[in-house]
Amino acid sequence: MTLSTTRPGARERDPAAAARRRALIVLLALLCLLPLAVNNYVQFVVNTMLVYCLVAVGFNVVLGYLGQLAFANAAFFGIGAYAAGLSMVHWGVSGPVGIALGGAAGAVLGFVVGLPALRVKGYYLAIATLAVGELMRWVYVHNDAITFGPGGFSLPELRLLGMTLDETLKYYVFLFVVTLAIAATSLLLRSRFGRAFVAIRNNERAAASLGIDGRRMKILAFVWSGMIVGLGGALFALLNGRVSPDTFGLSQLLMHFAIVMVGGLGSLAGSVIGAVLLTAAPEVFRNLPGLEEIVFSLMLILVIFFMPKGVGGLLSDAFPLLRERLYRRP
Amino acid sequence: MNILQVEGLTVRFGGLVAVNDLSFSVRTGEVFAMMGPNGAGKTTAFDAIGGFVQAAAGAVRFEGKPILGLAPERIAALGIRRTFQNNGILREMTVLENVLTGLELSTPSSLLGVVTGWPAAARAERSAVVRAREMLEQMEIGDLEERAAGDLSFGQQRMVEIARALVAGARLIMLDEPAVGLSPNERLHLGQVLRRLAGTGITVLLVEHVQDLVMAVSDQVLVLNFGRKLVQCPPEEVRQNEEVLEAYLGNG
Repeated sequence: MTLSTTRPGARERDPAAAARRRALIVLLALLCLLPLAVNNYVQFVVNTMLVYCLVAVGFNVVLGYLGQLAFANAAFFGIGAYAAGLSMVHWGVSGPVGIALGGAAGAVLGFVVGLPALRVKGYYLAIATLAVGELMRWVYVHNDAITFGPGGFSLPELRLLGMTLDETLKYYVFLFVVTLAIAATSLLLRSRFGRAFVAIRNNERAAASLGIDGRRMKILAFVWSGMIVGLGGALFALLNGRVSPDTFGLSQLLMHFAIVMVGGLGSLAGSVIGAVLLTAAPEVFRNLPGLEEIVFSLMLILVIFFMPKGVGGLLSDAFPLLRERLYRRP
Repeated sequence: MNILQVEGLTVRFGGLVAVNDLSFSVRTGEVFAMMGPNGAGKTTAFDAIGGFVQAAAGAVRFEGKPILGLAPERIAALGIRRTFQNNGILREMTVLENVLTGLELSTPSSLLGVVTGWPAAARAERSAVVRAREMLEQMEIGDLEERAAGDLSFGQQRMVEIARALVAGARLIMLDEPAVGLSPNERLHLGQVLRRLAGTGITVLLVEHVQDLVMAVSDQVLVLNFGRKLVQCPPEEVRQNEEVLEAYLGNG
């Protein structure tokens, strides 16, 4: 060890880290310029990708990192959308406040779903959490006075700083939220918290013997997951301008699951790639009826057979530089 | 001075008495080995001391403080670490990440600090990495840092587990059959590591089948049979003990 490791700026001397940093900055700059190059329809698809990035990253925290078979993701997504949409309709809050409330509602539901995870695991947890999703849909359908029942509701016209929120403006709002959320999640996972999640996945007894409080860490993972996916739900409500209960059923959950599996359990980059691929695939094959589903299923089968660790796992095996670590380099 | 005192420890599984009225005390800085035939209750005694199984009766004091009934993570927080018989390694994590996990309690980064990238939290996280790397160097496994722990040999995994147990400055470490599956050379190395630890004042409580290791490194040996203490004495006396020969080594 040398003393220089503690000096600020010392990190830049690691060429790999510096290269990664530069690549990220270039990527962000390109993303900021993207609206110049695409039409409204493509912009809508890209916005959808951003929404599903949050969905996948949040799901991955519990499914991939913590390793719990919890399937309340569509419920987190739904409550985020409802909280954002309803707060705008009933209370007239602005878009940003609505988005924040969506994240908060997701976090609260994450806490609630995390409680049974302290007692049951495996298939039992899977069933219990699936039930939460259906229960939430029942709540939306049967509380017409608040949720507008089975038909759902439309959001009021959205404005930001005096401008109507068109696809391009939405894109910048989404990009901001998604970048922040992924950056924070990445920091979380590369800290003692992320390591605790993976330690619990690997060996709960060993984790406890090291002083890791399994109950607190599980709750934290669920709350974080709920918050990120809830944010995604809020963006989803803004994206479509409509919220209705049938959107948040099993097929929604299956889409989330497929994205995380294709992207790779325990890989943030993989989750983003999975979201982009599986959002783009149906659009690319939209004009060929029937092919959409076939391509979707084929992708899943191929991934499960040939890359069990998903695209993210494949990339990190091929390029060691891209391997995601559970610590920050000193 | 006794770092660990066990009095009348009893553990029952249904009708089976796995540990029966077990009493012993371990002095600071010694290597204390528990031996006994399969099913004698060694691991169960370990689990009870570490908070992993509930004791039916008895008392356990660590540095004078009663610890029986505390949750494992609370006991760990007091300065006790252990390894596991069937591999307590975190297989999918790298060697460095394994050792970092051992620093969970001594990395003072808050949740808010971490997710906002706050400098104090980042500093705490970074110095944990530096500390973990130092530990790996001390254990002479620094070159394995980037390897997935699950891919290592048994012997290397044991060293990682021990490094992880030591990194946070535990004062008592409990090793459950660390020599299982080790080559003779690795056993020798393990023995040296254990003696070195004891030399620095760290107390080692050992459950072990491998007799040459126990005889070579222990200051005290306790022999268990059917959950009861047969004898406790220095290793050289164990060989002469009639009861032990009968129970443990068979009627020779």
